[in-house]
Amino acid sequence: MKLRNISKFHIHGLNQEKLLNEMCKNFTLFDIERISKSDTFFECSYFDYRKIEKFIKSHGVIIESVSHEGFAHKLMKIFSSYGLVFAIFISIILYFFQNQYVLQYEVVGVDKLSEKEIVEFVKDEFSSKKTEIETSKIENALIKKFSCISFVSCIIKGQTLVLNIKEKLLPSEMYGTFAPLTANKSGKITKIELISGTLKVKVGDIVQEGDVLVEPFTLDASGELKKVEARAEILAEVYNEGVSEHYETFVQVSRTGEKRVQSEVMLFGLSIYNFKQEIPFSLFETECEYTNLSKNLFMPFKLKKTVFYELVEETIVSDFEEVKDEFVNKAKIDAEKKCESQNILDEFYTLRHIGGVTFVNYCIVTEEKICGENK
Amino acid sequence: MFNFLNELKKNLKIPQELDLNGFNIINIAGNLLYVEGHLGLVTLSKELISFKVKKSVIIVEGKDMVLNELSDSTLKICGKIKKVEQI
Repeated sequence: MKLRNISKFHIHGLNQEKLLNEMCKNFTLFDIERISKSDTFFECSYFDYRKIEKFIKSHGVIIESVSHEGFAHKLMKIFSSYGLVFAIFISIILYFFQNQYVLQYEVVGVDKLSEKEIVEFVKDEFSSKKTEIETSKIENALIKKFSCISFVSCIIKGQTLVLNIKEKLLPSEMYGTFAPLTANKSGKITKIELISGTLKVKVGDIVQEGDVLVEPFTLDASGELKKVEARAEILAEVYNEGVSEHYETFVQVSRTGEKRVQSEVMLFGLSIYNFKQEIPFSLFETECEYTNLSKNLFMPFKLKKTVFYELVEETIVSDFEEVKDEFVNKAKIDAEKKCESQNILDEFYTLRHIGGVTFVNYCIVTEEKICGENK
Repeated sequence: MFNFLNELKKNLKIPQELDLNGFNIINIAGNLLYVEGHLGLVTLSKELISFKVKKSVIIVEGKDMVLNELSDSTLKICGKIKKVEQI
């Protein structure tokens, strides 16, 4: 970009010497170049170009072209771009408006406390307008609300409210959810190793899934209740049961391999053409398939193809004793799926015959941990 | 303000009746002609530029001449200047 602020005119007309003589009385002209009798190029200061333009027009000479160079012209161009000026103006207003508010919250130093909880508390309790925020009030409110905060400092940096928090250091058993430990499986308790909390069961007790095993508190020497995290390792004999059922007679439906196909051309869900074969099957099942015939969305033709498969019913009679091993294995696999421990104490199965149905119950007794440490 | 031409005129011992105040023309190396005290252009082309001065007309002949600057009383001609003539 040139710093020299000039305007270059190309004028067309007769008796240009006279015009130049009159012009030079008021303005200084540069690089006057006459390329023909009626065409002349000359330069003048950018700041004079409007007056010169008016002057030339008043003398009946045609201005073929005017071009500008220099910083001043570029600057003026920006100011004459009303859209841009308006956008800058609006941006400045918006910037100053939004600059008054805290837009971002940053919490530093939290480990056990939830960042989200702290931010939501500050958002709910205090205004986001910077002029209305008193950082000391926020600090005090946070200490009052969250008992595990030992130190908090609050500063406003730009449009971010930075909360620097130091948490209180508590004994490890004081942390946690303070929820009771419950059994995650039913079984007979065989071993208990209590870490913290109050035990509610003893060895030999039979517990069901969901029963409370350890309460999240202890009683100190003065009889005062003190909250602690319930932690223990409790092992129990767990009965993992798998079931399989055998029917002496049952109806099996299978496809014969015979099939018939019916086709329909659809448009917007309406059938516009169809080809339907007669279905001679007394028992059948169908499968439907839709294919797009056109790729455009204006006329979305679809081909609906329905396949009818012939079915046949067969009554199967089976003797349990012949397939006993197979069903016992099935029940065993089912029981094994439920086992979480490899420590198998015992395994057995039972049979029940009810109205032509034989239930095989396979039971694997394992020693398993029925509660873990609270996390 | 110091003016070299005025100083030159003052120091010259020339007869009183000679008028030195009309106009000044300086030809620099045949490539630039500086004129003070012109009274208006008469002709303007690449080969011929003429202008009025007090009581006469100056004709400048040359090649690829451009009127580099034109103001109320001064002008500068750039280009190959072959001849400067007063008529």
